[in-house]
Amino acid sequence: MSQTPLLDVRNLRTHFYTERGRVTAVDGVSFSMEPGEIVGIVGESGCGKSVMSQSIIRLLDYADDVSYEGEVRLGGENLLQLSNSRMRKIRGNLVSMVFQDPLTSLDPVYTVGDQIAESLRQHRRLSRREAREKALELLRMTGIPSPEQRLDEYPHQLSGGMQQRVMIAIALACEPQLLIADEPTTALDVTIQAQILELIVELNRKLGMGVLFITHDLGVVSEICTSVKVMYLGQIVEEMTTAQLFANPLHPYTQGLIRSIPRMDGDRRQKLHIIAGTVPSLNDKPQGCRFATRCPYADDKCRNEEPPIATAEEGHRLKCWYYEEISNGLREAVGHGD
Amino acid sequence: MLAYIVKRILSLIPVLLVITIATFALIHIMPGDPSAAFLGLEATQADVDALNQTMGFDHPIVEQYVNWVGGLFRGDLGDSLFLHQPVGQAIAEHMGPTLSLAIVAQAIALLLAIPLGIIAAYKRDSALDQLLRGFSLIGMAVPGFLLALFLMLFVGVKLKWLPIAGYAPLADGIWQHYRYLILPGISLGTIQAALIMRMTRSSVLEVLHLNFIKTVRSKGLRETKVLLKHALRNAFIPILTVIGQTFGTLVTGAVIIETIFNIPGIGQLVINSIERRDFTVIQGVVLFVTLLYVLINLIVDLLYGAVDPRVRLDRK
Repeated sequence: MSQTPLLDVRNLRTHFYTERGRVTAVDGVSFSMEPGEIVGIVGESGCGKSVMSQSIIRLLDYADDVSYEGEVRLGGENLLQLSNSRMRKIRGNLVSMVFQDPLTSLDPVYTVGDQIAESLRQHRRLSRREAREKALELLRMTGIPSPEQRLDEYPHQLSGGMQQRVMIAIALACEPQLLIADEPTTALDVTIQAQILELIVELNRKLGMGVLFITHDLGVVSEICTSVKVMYLGQIVEEMTTAQLFANPLHPYTQGLIRSIPRMDGDRRQKLHIIAGTVPSLNDKPQGCRFATRCPYADDKCRNEEPPIATAEEGHRLKCWYYEEISNGLREAVGHGD
Repeated sequence: MLAYIVKRILSLIPVLLVITIATFALIHIMPGDPSAAFLGLEATQADVDALNQTMGFDHPIVEQYVNWVGGLFRGDLGDSLFLHQPVGQAIAEHMGPTLSLAIVAQAIALLLAIPLGIIAAYKRDSALDQLLRGFSLIGMAVPGFLLALFLMLFVGVKLKWLPIAGYAPLADGIWQHYRYLILPGISLGTIQAALIMRMTRSSVLEVLHLNFIKTVRSKGLRETKVLLKHALRNAFIPILTVIGQTFGTLVTGAVIIETIFNIPGIGQLVINSIERRDFTVIQGVVLFVTLLYVLINLIVDLLYGAVDPRVRLDRK
């Protein structure tokens, strides 16, 4: 753990300026990841995980009025302070991204080969011919069937799984140190999902590249991630190793998420657990603990005072006032819950 | 791609059939006897009969149609009653100025509209965007002939920068030729520019919200490349449609502008022929312009295929 982290995010805040005022979608996120690690970011829709991941390479710069606060350090450089032209040299080169829906994420009017070569030629001095050869090599690496033929095909001619392999080939073109995968398997069939996950893990081992894996699927996390950050309303509420996540989840929200996983071996008559209530809008966030409105254990302290980050054990931190009492069974669920 | 082209061309056959019938019917739907209308009130019945005979109007109508279409295949549009020359030749002589004018107008429109449309889309809702949208609204609202008169007055009469009216063939030199076409080109091209700019803006704006723009940016491309290589090309199909439509109206809309600027083009030929009741010419020009429309639409359709692989690969 003594080596310099690959990515070090400190107190990141992303604000959007809308007609109804400033909305803070990412609210003080801090974490770091080591080279070669696969880190999962988990949370419900709207928890800010996508915005957070796009803030890392400042993809939101081009959207309407956005501002960032804090630091995103990659190899000692704070990405949030870089000029636009310097930032462009990082995107697609040191840090790449793979998105959720592969069909709409590929440009429909250029061939697969052109789109991979574009990344290469943007960051490396390559001739058209060399770029094409490298593109073929990348496609082959993703395990796409008959890669030579794919080079000259258009995205709409490929299946969803093949499209996602192409996206991965584009992302890996310049051998990035960090791959941000934003729900890369959500839009795919279950069998294809497994293949893509396997591919990502394999590439992570082979190339030693760090992967920040954004998902809402805890099953996926258990399969591939070394550690997990659970996000709720723009904040990381609990972070731990994957083993700790399943063995000893401490935050009531994380516990709720785990209990919401449908179990194949459970009692079929038992109702599926759901976390009561809905995610509050970013416009009226609770002022104390973000989860207080839905937490079965919340009291007035939770509703009024934001909990600090507590360290439960090595590598396991969370934001909850009462996690010790809850885990010792000393605190009864009140109010909501099951 | 070849199959796509062949399919597009074959689908023209029924269109052409309808066009010839409609054009032919034009003359016969007109009340009264076309020959009598041409010869005027003082003509005797004998004169009318004689003209009917030379023009073949005494034959059954289906036979007349077949003869006319048969002539079309040989490139024969019939003879002008007034000009004493074949209609085809008259159209060919007047086509040059009209085409030159249409090209100048379209070039002015495209050179203005596409870059400004992209800028407006990129800087949407900014002051610049509002300004450009205002201009495009004015451009669409001001009739071409009014703009023509203002341009003649200020640029031609007051500033004396460009000739007020007239035409010089290309043989007189390029500058001489285009000097005369700038003001009519602006008068004719402004509305087109406004329409194309609006379409470019909305189409590019729509594409900029698509997911793949994020992918392209995440590759580290510069914004000019994102806009021109990816956004514009994806946005181009609706833009192309508007360009095709407006190019058609350039040829027909030139009638008024050609008259104002005294350009001896198709527009003038039509106006004069209507005044002279020279209906074989009218019929010929209507057919010709319609064919031009069809041809432009064909080219636009073929360009769709060139711009978007989904058009040429998916349709079986």
